[in-house]
Order: sequence, then C-alpha cells, then structure tokens
Amino acid sequence: MTLHVAPAELDLEPAPLLSVAGVGRFYGERIGCADVSFDLWPGEVLGIVGESGSGKSTLLRCLAGIDRPDEGEVLFRGGAEPLDIYSVSEQERRRLMRTAWGIVHQNPRDGLRMDVTAGGNVGERLMDRGDRHYGQIRERALDWLQRVEIAGARIDDRPRQFSGGMQQRLQIARVLVSEPRLVFMDEPTGGLDVSVQARLLDLLRVLVRDLGLAAIIVTHDLAVARLLTDRLMVMKDGRVVEQGLTDQVLDDPHHAYTQLLTSAVLSV
Amino acid sequence: MTTMIQVENVAKTFTLHNQGGARLPVFDNVNFSVEAGEALVLAGASGAGKSSLLRILYGNYRPTAGSIRITHAGRPVDIVSAVPRTVLDIRRRTLGFVSQFLRVIPRVSTLDIVRDPLLARGAAPEIATEKAKVMLARLNLPERLWNLAPATFSGGEQQRVNIARSFVDPSAVMLIDEPTASLDAANRDVVVELIAEARAAGSAIVGIFHDEAVRERVATRYLDITAFRKAA
Repeated sequence: MTLHVAPAELDLEPAPLLSVAGVGRFYGERIGCADVSFDLWPGEVLGIVGESGSGKSTLLRCLAGIDRPDEGEVLFRGGAEPLDIYSVSEQERRRLMRTAWGIVHQNPRDGLRMDVTAGGNVGERLMDRGDRHYGQIRERALDWLQRVEIAGARIDDRPRQFSGGMQQRLQIARVLVSEPRLVFMDEPTGGLDVSVQARLLDLLRVLVRDLGLAAIIVTHDLAVARLLTDRLMVMKDGRVVEQGLTDQVLDDPHHAYTQLLTSAVLSV
Repeated sequence: MTTMIQVENVAKTFTLHNQGGARLPVFDNVNFSVEAGEALVLAGASGAGKSSLLRILYGNYRPTAGSIRITHAGRPVDIVSAVPRTVLDIRRRTLGFVSQFLRVIPRVSTLDIVRDPLLARGAAPEIATEKAKVMLARLNLPERLWNLAPATFSGGEQQRVNIARSFVDPSAVMLIDEPTASLDAANRDVVVELIAEARAAGSAIVGIFHDEAVRERVATRYLDITAFRKAA
C-alpha cells in the first residue's frame, strides 16, 4: 500500500479506504447532489443525515457504484492500487460490489431473493465469492443466521415467511457473510417498529465494531446516527452544509439547518 | 512534571441561527494548563460555563478560536483542529469524560458496559471482565444487576455504572462533570478515592463538583472561570 501521508506517529491506518472528490449528480436543472468530497478510513462509520429530498440517497447510490455521478470521482483502496470505481468496466465494478462491498437496502426485498431459503440467501454470497464446499457454506450460513439472531431451525424457510425485522437481519447476514471492507446502508432501520429497531441497532453496533467495518449509513433519524456513527455529514438541497465528529455536529451544531434539525428532536 | 492539557486563547460564542441569529458569548481568552497528577477544579456560579468548558476540552463543543493541546501518545495534539478519527483516537486512548448521566444502549449488560473501555484498548476479555467486576463491587452495585441492562436502574445505580466504566481503566486525562450528584455518602467516598487513585497513578483531572465537601477533598488547585467570561 502506498503511504501518502505520515500519521504513523499516531498509529493510525496509513490511507483512506474511500476517497470521494467533487461528486455531483444532476437531473436536468435540478441538483441531486453536488460538490461532495470526503475521505473514509478503515473502521470508520460515516452517517449522512438530512430530510427527504436532501440528496442523501442519491449520494449513497453514487458512492456505492449504483448510479454513475455526472462529476467527480470515487477512489477505492481495496488492493495495492487505488481504483476509480467509475473508470473500470461495468463487470469489474460489479465484481467489486459483490466481494469488497456490501449494500444494505432500506427494504429487505431489494436485497434478498424472496424465493430462495434463508440459508440460500446467505450461502449464495459465499458461492459468488468462489466457495464450493456445500457443507462449509451451510455451516457458515447457519453461523451467520445465529449471529443476527435468527434461529437455526429457520434456515430452510423463505424470507416471505419472516417478519420485517427478521428479513432485515437476514439481509444484514447476507451482506456481511462475505466479509466486505465497506458497507453501505440506506435507512437500515426505516419501516421497522421502535422495539425492533433497538434490537437491530444494537446488533449493527456490535457487528460494525467486532468486524472493524467501514460503513456509510444514510438515515433521517438522528438517534440512529448518534448510536452508530463516528462522523456525520448533514445534507440540504443536495449539498453538504456541515460535517464533523457525530457528537460535535449534534451537540454543537453550527449551521442554521443543523440547528433546526437537532432542535426538532426531543432527545438524541 | 508533564503538561497534559495546554489551553491557549480559547474563545467560544454560540450563534443561534434560528433565533434571529442571537449570539451568546461564553468565554474569551481562556488560558491554562494542567499537569499529570493534578486535579483542577473549575469554580464559578451556575451558568458561568463550567460544563461548556469541559465539553470544549473533550472536543465535543467546537471553540470559536484558540487551541487545546492534549498530550497523546507522548506528544501534544491540538484537539480543536484534529480530524475526527484523531479525536476519536485521543478519546479512546488518552481522554475520558465522566458525565452525570449514563447514555444507555438498549440490551447491553452492565458488565459489558463497564468492561468495554478495556476491550477497546486491547485488554484480554477475561482480564477486562475481572477488573469490571472488582469495580462494580467497589461501587456497591449488587451482583444480581451485573448481567442486566441498566435501562431500568435507578438514577444512582446508573450513575455508579457510569463511574465504574470511567474508572475501570483511568485515562491519562479525565474530565469529570458532577459525578457524585445522586450518590449516597458511602459511594461518594468511593468516588473520591477513585479520583485520588487515578491522580496518584498520574492522571490529570479537570472536574466540576457541586458538593463542597467533595470538591475540597479532590482539588489540588482551583480555576475560577468567571475571569474568562466574555462581556456580552
């Protein structure tokens, strides 16, 4: 790995995992997102917050390799050389998304195969990666179901027989089983009951820490951001209006819009 | 003596954009330093900004001007201008904050909460668990509570969990905000002892103590922050 900077005296990782420079996406005259730049380091969890229509999901889709931005670049350092994810072939990008990245969708139906068993949903990712030993794949799938608190006895059931919270946990198992270095999550607790959310949040918090994942989480819920993220970017009208350490941004917001957002919540 | 905190020319003004851009000046020209083994107690009337200053030292509130150098991994690092991951690294390894309130995470047991800082600094799980148990016992928290999540505990019990978590592996710099507010006399004494032990082990401490008796037992030096009040 190339050493660009010298923070070694602080014993920190030598280079960012993801470097985003000047990313923008436009729909005709309308701004989807614009001028977004940041670095994400291994093990860091970045939250993107803002209201509906602020551009946070558009940005996430650009960063995750789903929608090509109209401007800027997204560099991923997964191997020896940084890779500009939009300058490589479609095929290469898809390979990267399957192996080094994971995407957790807000609606589990977008991330799961509803006609495939729970075990199959998790095992499929291992087969994508090249694993071929059926017994080992099933064993790992079983292990992951248990890590996300789904009883092993449900391994041959299909996701449509699961509750919403279970489907979301299954999706998380499907994403994490292949040991991605970077995970994108779009409102991972949206659409769930509050009690189910708490369980999922705690699970995510533990997994992110234990696996040392880097993650980018889009949420409109500041309590979710407080619990899961290290850093926060606040978006409004497609632009980043404020960013910093999560507790700084939430406890001492500087931008008018962030002050409005934080004061609209009872207690986070 | 080793200087652990060096505050230079710190100023803080809050600007409330949604209340007609009201500006609330808090401090101007704050300058002081804290050495290893000292316990500096912040003095000043309620509303003088003691808690705000403590939050600024932690990198939680962002000052309008100035620098705060924390001695981290053997060298001074300005927490005001440091990037987020450096601030987090300073907090993980060097800088602790003991607040009045425990931020409860649903479903996490008391024992896990208390041993968490040790694990984050790389201690072996068995050793972390053992130290956590010793600390909980010292703070007289009944053993039947150790495996429960503190969400349903009383205020005083939650506060003791919080103190146990903070002192299980004392940081080189500890910022303490009213740690004894809802404790009985016996537990207050334990907190005073824990602070003295941390100091003897070389921690630099900055604290706010409402209770005058506690304050006098803990302080090696006072800093009246009224002197830094900014004329509005």
